[in-house]
Amino acid sequence: MNTISSRAKILYALAGLFLVGAILVALTFVLHGDEYAMNSRNRHIYSGNVLISGGRVLDKNGKVLTEVKNGERRYNDSARIRRATLHVLGESGYIAGGVLEKYSAELVGYNLITGVFTAKEKGGNDVRLTLDAELCAEAYEAMDGRKGAVGVYNYKTGEIVCMISAPSYDVKNKPSDIDTNPAYDGAYLNKFIYGQYVPGSTFKTVTAACAAENIPDIFARKFYCSGQYDTGDGVVKCNDVHGELTFEQAYNRSCNAVFAQIANEVGAKKLENAAARMGVKSSFEISRLNTARGSVDLSKTSHTDLGWAGIGQYTDTVNPCNMMMLAGAIANGGETRIPYFVDGVYSTEGALIKDEKNTQTQTLVNTTTASVLKQLMRSTVTDYYGERYFPDMKMAAKTGTAEVGGELSPHSWMFGFSLREDFPYAFSVIIENGGSGYYGAGEVASQVMRSLFDGK
Amino acid sequence: MIFLAKTSVAPSRSMKDNRIPSDLTVRDGKLRERTGKWFFLMLALTIIELMLFASLVPHLEKEYLAQTILLLIAYIAVEWGYYSVVGIAMQRRMEIELAGFMLSSISIAITASVFPEKLLMQLATTVVGVGAFAFLVWFIGSVNRVTYSRIFAAVGAVGLLGATLLLARITNGAKNWLAYGSVSVQPSEFVKIAFIFVGAATLDRIQNAKSIMKYVIFSMICVGLLFLTFDFGTALIFFATFLIIAFLRSGDIKTIVLVCAAALLGGIGIILYKPYVATRFANYRHVWDYVDAGGFQQTRAIMYSLSGGLFGVGLGNGKLRYIKYATEDLAFGVVCEELGMITAAAILIAYVLLLIYAIRGARYARSSFYAIAACSAAGLLVFQASLSAFGAMDILPFTGVTLPFISRGGSSMISSWGLLAFLKALDIRTYPKVLRELYHS
Repeated sequence: MNTISSRAKILYALAGLFLVGAILVALTFVLHGDEYAMNSRNRHIYSGNVLISGGRVLDKNGKVLTEVKNGERRYNDSARIRRATLHVLGESGYIAGGVLEKYSAELVGYNLITGVFTAKEKGGNDVRLTLDAELCAEAYEAMDGRKGAVGVYNYKTGEIVCMISAPSYDVKNKPSDIDTNPAYDGAYLNKFIYGQYVPGSTFKTVTAACAAENIPDIFARKFYCSGQYDTGDGVVKCNDVHGELTFEQAYNRSCNAVFAQIANEVGAKKLENAAARMGVKSSFEISRLNTARGSVDLSKTSHTDLGWAGIGQYTDTVNPCNMMMLAGAIANGGETRIPYFVDGVYSTEGALIKDEKNTQTQTLVNTTTASVLKQLMRSTVTDYYGERYFPDMKMAAKTGTAEVGGELSPHSWMFGFSLREDFPYAFSVIIENGGSGYYGAGEVASQVMRSLFDGK
Repeated sequence: MIFLAKTSVAPSRSMKDNRIPSDLTVRDGKLRERTGKWFFLMLALTIIELMLFASLVPHLEKEYLAQTILLLIAYIAVEWGYYSVVGIAMQRRMEIELAGFMLSSISIAITASVFPEKLLMQLATTVVGVGAFAFLVWFIGSVNRVTYSRIFAAVGAVGLLGATLLLARITNGAKNWLAYGSVSVQPSEFVKIAFIFVGAATLDRIQNAKSIMKYVIFSMICVGLLFLTFDFGTALIFFATFLIIAFLRSGDIKTIVLVCAAALLGGIGIILYKPYVATRFANYRHVWDYVDAGGFQQTRAIMYSLSGGLFGVGLGNGKLRYIKYATEDLAFGVVCEELGMITAAAILIAYVLLLIYAIRGARYARSSFYAIAACSAAGLLVFQASLSAFGAMDILPFTGVTLPFISRGGSSMISSWGLLAFLKALDIRTYPKVLRELYHS
């Protein structure tokens, strides 16, 4: 028996392997538990792709955007709020990147210890947003059926107070022709986070920054606009014949000829670097969503291409959220908090479970350049646009009218920020094929910022 | 045969000197063991079972309420009945049975909760299992009986597997069920007992190469027949058990490696000739990529196990139970979800403890038959449990084998209890007559 019993000891290896198996199961649970348990096929918490268990989502004023009642997910009573907050909340299977998806584990109160108990017994947790749902609704209405995106945030704290993407739809009465009607093209995308648009003249801010850093006497120089700029291998047309201009006047009036000339003076490499430093090509994490990267690729440009790229045409693209951040950074001396729209996770009794505020900062321009750009954008409003759109707000801004080719109307852009200490907000507005930046996006920005300023 | 019987039954000198367990006392001139602790352990078992059963009752549909409560009480009565006879009247130890009762009560509870209409069947097969256990314990008590009957067991095993191959219809990709009227059985489950019986009994003649060859041929026939029925999980269990028995017998790690290499080649050959075999396991470690296709069962088992957390959502509140064959193939997931990960871990530990019990007890075995039988039975249980539990969790390929004692199903339950008999027989105190002879000689 001694031989058998000593041979039997090899079975300890089997017991050991068995325990290794159990440890691997435990490891899988610890590492991927949230992801696997929160699968939309989990009938404890989902029904037909809808998160039916746990969790309310509230706006900054405590307005309930969505909650579960009697095993059914309900949304806000107002259709305008439902439309304005659709992309923020998301719709499982259709709109990715919503709070209901990204914060499903927190909403359900899922964890490895109690499983789905919190959801079953206490109705889950609350996720509070920094968004003002009413302001979002106003922004969506200001878009007036046009497609695009609006975002406003506090550049000192990083809180996004307004974020909408258009077109949207009412999740409660989903249009039957949503997949065929061109009016709903792009309705499943949160364009503020995931959109990539030709920047047009808003990009002159990048070119201006590059010029300020690389051409020492830029403010002393005089430029001349004859209605176009001859690059040697082609021409870049201007929107007007501006005649003699200072650098600042050229920015204020958005002179293509001068900025095409400046782009060629600084060169492709420096312009591309400036764009990269200003975050145009970066992706930022905004409450668990990663913004789309813009693109500035000047590696094979002719002088004319470079000229067009310097005024935000050619192959340039930017992301609306990134433009908002850039405005915030300029306002804030070059550095900005990374924006966020989820404030935190709270128990139904109101106790803070998880703080989701983002306190990280990002430097997009150096301090000197920031003050130059601040001055340029401010004088654009005071000397050119006028204060009509933003009374008392000490607003600085730049518009863009981005040609998109063919018969299509250009994209309409505006981004900017208030210089008031007590109103530290920056915004970006993009309207697809919205025509003139000033009359299209400017009007929307005006409505949203005035509403925010009045409610301050 | 005579030679074999002699060497295996007669206690050796060393056994007399060292191997009488120390917690025995002599009372009234007889060898006695303290038996009071079994009463308290039975009481603890009953309390745990009552708590378990009570938790499922509120979720029962009215039409099954009375019947279910009655059957659950009947189960506890069966346990106390067994204890009265074996524990009190016969003064035997109870640890193995306690483990079996505890584990079985979980499948009783799950069946009562998920399929109240099938509870009677589950209970009946558990009672049959306990009966088979008692019978086997008695039967293998005499090595003579073991020796003379092993040829019948071998023929029976091959016959049963052959009949399955010929008569069974394909269900869920495998031909492993024999149906007669409304009763269907899985013959391979019973063959597990015969397989160990034959393996352990044959091996008493350790140096005889011919008898090894006979056993190898027998094993390969069994594994081959199982392969032909496409029941790869069970084939794998038999193969692993064969390796354990072959090693315990020969101690020859080189041969084992050789056999494994041959099996690997065979496996590769099968995959080359019958590529669809491999496609059955194509989802392994990628179940989330096939979440609504080949990974359906595993992904559900994982997500619902996680939903249960450490303490479970409670019997009757689970969702995994609505997946087809969950209480059989995904029993581990059902336990995780409804009873919690702590209970699930305790079950896994129970299997390991049975194995450790066999390994440690092998020293005290009265002959190599008992040592090999107990170790290979425990090894089989652990191997099968890992295929079942870790297969459902996508740590191992998913083969759909049952979780011993826990999965619903009569064949599996009877087989689990039958295998437990080999562990019970390992303990020399199970046979006081033998022990007394040992003590007095």
